[in-house]
Amino acid sequence: MSATLAPTPAPATVKRPGRSGHILRTLALRIGTALLVLLCTATVAFFLVRLSGDPVKVLLPPDATTQQEHVLRHSLGLDRPLLTQYLDYLWGLPRLDFGDSLFYNQPVRTVLADRIPATLLLAAGALVVTLVVALPAGTIAAMRRGRATDRSVMTGVLLGQSTPPFWVGILLVLVFAVGLHALPASGYGSFAHLVLPSVTLAVYSVAVVARLLRSSLVDVLASDHIRTARARGLGPVRTVLTHGLRNASLPVVTVVGLEVGSLLGGAILTEQVFSWPGVGRLTVEAISNRDFPLVQATILLFAATFVVVNLLVDLSYSLLDPRVRTRA
Amino acid sequence: MERIPRGAPHGPRPSRRTVLRYGGAAVPALAATGLLTGCGTEPATHAGNVLRVSQTGDPKTMDPQKQGDMTSMNVLVNVFDTLTVRGRDNKLGPGLALTWKAVSPKVWRFTLRPGVRFHNGEACDAKAVKFSLDRLLDPATKSPIVELRYVDGVTVVDAHTVDVHTSVHDPILPDKVSLFGGVVVPPRYLAKVGDDGFANHPVGTGPFTFAHWQRDHELRLRAFPHHWRGRPGPDELVFTPAPNASSALAALQSGEVDLVSGLTPDAAQQLDGYPGVHLDHHTGIRTSYLSLDTLTDGPLRDRRVRQALNHAVDVPLLIKAVLGGKAQEVPAMIPRGAFGFDDSLAPYTRSVGRAKDLLAEAGHPHGFHTTLTASNVDANVAEALSGLLARAGVHARVNLLDPGTYAQRLTSDNHGALGPLYLAASTVWTLDGESMLQSNVRSDRRQSRWHDKRADALVDSEELSVEPATRRRAFSRLQELVKTEAPFVSLYQIDNIYARNNRPRWTPGAAGVLDMASAEVTR
Repeated sequence: MSATLAPTPAPATVKRPGRSGHILRTLALRIGTALLVLLCTATVAFFLVRLSGDPVKVLLPPDATTQQEHVLRHSLGLDRPLLTQYLDYLWGLPRLDFGDSLFYNQPVRTVLADRIPATLLLAAGALVVTLVVALPAGTIAAMRRGRATDRSVMTGVLLGQSTPPFWVGILLVLVFAVGLHALPASGYGSFAHLVLPSVTLAVYSVAVVARLLRSSLVDVLASDHIRTARARGLGPVRTVLTHGLRNASLPVVTVVGLEVGSLLGGAILTEQVFSWPGVGRLTVEAISNRDFPLVQATILLFAATFVVVNLLVDLSYSLLDPRVRTRA
Repeated sequence: MERIPRGAPHGPRPSRRTVLRYGGAAVPALAATGLLTGCGTEPATHAGNVLRVSQTGDPKTMDPQKQGDMTSMNVLVNVFDTLTVRGRDNKLGPGLALTWKAVSPKVWRFTLRPGVRFHNGEACDAKAVKFSLDRLLDPATKSPIVELRYVDGVTVVDAHTVDVHTSVHDPILPDKVSLFGGVVVPPRYLAKVGDDGFANHPVGTGPFTFAHWQRDHELRLRAFPHHWRGRPGPDELVFTPAPNASSALAALQSGEVDLVSGLTPDAAQQLDGYPGVHLDHHTGIRTSYLSLDTLTDGPLRDRRVRQALNHAVDVPLLIKAVLGGKAQEVPAMIPRGAFGFDDSLAPYTRSVGRAKDLLAEAGHPHGFHTTLTASNVDANVAEALSGLLARAGVHARVNLLDPGTYAQRLTSDNHGALGPLYLAASTVWTLDGESMLQSNVRSDRRQSRWHDKRADALVDSEELSVEPATRRRAFSRLQELVKTEAPFVSLYQIDNIYARNNRPRWTPGAAGVLDMASAEVTR
């Protein structure tokens, strides 16, 4: 996020490298940095996860013999030197080979591929809820700033931001599933199943997006060109929609991008509450099973999501804000 | 002044739209693909006799030899048959093996049921049995199943006879092949599809065939009409995980699930009293006890102190107060229903006064301070035990560990890793006392914290004798010795608790295995 917004219109007479070359260079640099971040994450994950204890103890029942433990440890390759294990693991990464899950006895790739669609669906649902709620809320609050409407919208939003998501989830289940029988309490497979978890997951993001939109819209609405538009006789609503939102959207796009990452993180708790068969729940299980390869892979997956989303946000800047594009 | 320079005609406006449009389009697209791949089926209608069962978790894998947990086995037992079968009456009966006998101390001979075929038509014969046991014992399989540790190998006598060779006499081998160790898998099919293919689409000889599995969501099985025991009751069997009682209740009441298994007494109490929800409980065999460290210096080296703890822990009260009455007192480690249980042995009289007297005799008139360690899943019971001990002046601080850490310390070579007192439990699914005592009594076993030559000799006698009568005598003496020497505080065997709606009729065995072929479902 190093894009500064200082307008530096370049004089057209100066010869500069072609724009496409510049973009490619920037892109290469960004991707290089991203890969470095992922390598560091992979390394930290590898060593941290091994501090949690011995997976063989969890895999075998308490009445197993020491001999049986040795045999299993050997066949899982956990008795090899740590460095050998580490290099093996790194060697597999470029080929997306994360090894075999100790618990499921299957390739980690297969186990993950099973769970990713559900988490994507949940994150997408939450994103829709976030935008549908936060954009109007932020806009209305900005237009009515300082009045009762603004205060009540913002209080509601703040409440959402300060409530733990799992608690929101449990409350929603109590009201809509157990009380009203309107929606299923847990599970997966139909649109109805998606509603409660999506709302739960969105509550926090709604607050972040709505507050940011409000503050940036308040700034924009105070600026000259809005006043000009109003003076030209445009109504307040049209002014906001045609002039205000466009200029206020830039920081919001950034934060929505970042929120996608948080949504995946938030999915860990939400999936637990709603027994949603996604990566979040898998991560929790993998940690308690001490499934080293699987934990490493899920951590990497979350990290990669953040990195990729950041990259996309950076790139979308240049589409949204011509000033970023012309800045060499 | 306009501070936003207007760029080219395709300037900010269209590109912003493009961005937003793509963003907007991505969401429904994602949702659509998700719904399609997530088999966007409505909750099953009850067309045909569908029986939907929920457990607390999802199976680990559908390869029966790569799992060792009850949750997985509960599903697998419907797809695969075992050599022997534990009947509803808790007696061992024929499964894929019709008869078995020890032809010599180290050889068990199994005669197989003729004409059995796997779901894919492959013959289930002596070769398949040998293949299965060999595969289980092959380190490359990485099987977590441990009870066949004495099996050295299998020889095929003829098409319907196998000999299982053991390193020592194993009197309960036939019991051990009634569940995890006794599953028979199809050699030809496995050779064709490989281990991964087999786990993705398992083929057994059991009453149901595998249909579909969406992990952590639902696993579907279909009736196998050609099963040797005849067509199973339900036409379709669906397993879903319901990790908590509230989701199980909601699923029961909305008709998404017919039978909820694996309920804790706490959870059962939450479900009690709702219309259309029936609670059934049956005597189970998961047996809980406190292990006392008699080896390290401290009050527990004194037998009188250990007896005092047994008098102080009022097990019937504990069962009533914490477990909703859904458990049975166990006098001396071996649960009712297991081979070797001696019903002539009365449990300790529970008396705080007697406990205090014994403590005073042992030199602790004001009691003493200690620690009680438990896995955090047993938090309620641990807290209650601490309270009961406190009444006699024994102040036990409760130390709760996450299950992984608990398991690690339980099986570590340091017998003091879980402190002076710890709460443990064991599911004696072989229904033989040996399984309860194999790892925590004999001096050389890993969880033993009591060294007594008499006990060691009795363990040898029950583990190595061929004669059931000899074994029974050894078990009786062992229980008396356990009661007198009090290296444990024996607690209870917990009931298997089920919640169901009006549709299913089904009776579980003591091990509580979810073999649903015998269930009857009304439409």
